[in-house]
Amino acid sequence: MTPRIDISVKLAVVLLLWVCAFAFSWMYQALLCLVVIAVRFTIPAFRPQSQRSARAFSRFLLYSAAVAFLVLLLNSLLIRGGTSYGTILGFALYEEGLLFGLRTASRLLLLTYAVLLFFISSPLKDLIRFLQTRGLSPSFTLILLLTLHFLDHLPARIHQIFLAQQARGAPVDAGVLARSRALLSLLSPLVLSSIVESIDRGTALELRGFLNRRTNCEASIPSGEGWNFLTILILILSMVILILTIFRWLPG
Amino acid sequence: MPSSIRRKIAEELTGAALPFVAFCIALNLTAGQLTAALKIPLYLDSIGTILVAVLVGPWSAVLCGSAANLLAAAFGNPTMMFFIPVVAVIGAFTGVLARLGWFRKWYLVCLGGIAQGVLAALVSAPISAYLFSGVMMAGTDFLVLYFRSMGNTLMDSVLYQGLASDPADKLVSYVIVFLLVKNLPQRLLARLHGAENLRPPERTQ
Repeated sequence: MTPRIDISVKLAVVLLLWVCAFAFSWMYQALLCLVVIAVRFTIPAFRPQSQRSARAFSRFLLYSAAVAFLVLLLNSLLIRGGTSYGTILGFALYEEGLLFGLRTASRLLLLTYAVLLFFISSPLKDLIRFLQTRGLSPSFTLILLLTLHFLDHLPARIHQIFLAQQARGAPVDAGVLARSRALLSLLSPLVLSSIVESIDRGTALELRGFLNRRTNCEASIPSGEGWNFLTILILILSMVILILTIFRWLPG
Repeated sequence: MPSSIRRKIAEELTGAALPFVAFCIALNLTAGQLTAALKIPLYLDSIGTILVAVLVGPWSAVLCGSAANLLAAAFGNPTMMFFIPVVAVIGAFTGVLARLGWFRKWYLVCLGGIAQGVLAALVSAPISAYLFSGVMMAGTDFLVLYFRSMGNTLMDSVLYQGLASDPADKLVSYVIVFLLVKNLPQRLLARLHGAENLRPPERTQ
């Protein structure tokens, strides 16, 4: 069985990493990026919850590595300042651009890895339940859960409408302008069917008194169990780093 | 969340509006599939937010855009989370325009789309510049680098990039939403609050 870490602890870790992304130099940020990747593979509570999440993380690692390389290369080519480090295909690489690229790439990677680590290791339904215990209203919870339902069904519906319109002779393979016009013939039935479905669902909710029994719904969810000790510790650490950084930035 | 905002959202989210907002969040996240299927170079990632702003109201549109960006982060695009203020502004601004009746005339829709694009560029520029130094892991990053290589500051470069691409994207999104709601049956539209935003004003004798 996978050991569980409270969602609040994971959120505090994300906050700590975000603070570090602005407080530390690029070398520490790069080191923290490697730590985040190591955590994903070594600590069971931070492992992906599904094959899909694992694939998303691996894809994003490759994608972000390519982007980081491009950021470094393009900045050192285009931002001219400081000493020149050499040439690539006749173009000079400059120190100022390289340093700017390193700072940008490491901060971007740390910010995004922190968010990604949280989401791949926390199922959305757990997050929604956590938010509910912290005061999220039943209506918002319903919206988030319905969105997950629509996300499962929309691609199939879009494909179905696309095939139907293609069979009716919609110019889905013609020039750009004709294809742009065909976009409306795909979107219209999609929005129309969604409004019809929304009316049905809305009527069902009203008939069940969902919109008028707020207190009952809130009562059925256990209230927040107070803050986890580890969460408080990480939040204090984040605050200390933030305050020290602000003092460092202050002139004199 | 302040109770006054909560109350305003609750006023808008009644009956069919609640599931419709959920659909529009999903539409924001899957609109890319439509444009990819038709091979059209458009994002349309705020079309759901604009639809909610017109057919439901500004507060629900803020909620729709924010939830869509949060879920986009959860599904593998973490940078979207930092742009929640931008989609909130898009939702609120469009909602206000719709309430003022700007979605009744095509030329007002075009004007609103361009204004929305400029506003989105102004709001997203500081986030993009200070948090990400102008790198958004998208094709528009090349524009930022181009403007920087011309000697502009980072903030100016990001702003110019936004002003070059956002008004066109939002204009297209506004026109699509205008055509969509114009072709929807009044019988169905009447079940959503925003239907009043689309009706011509009644003449007083």
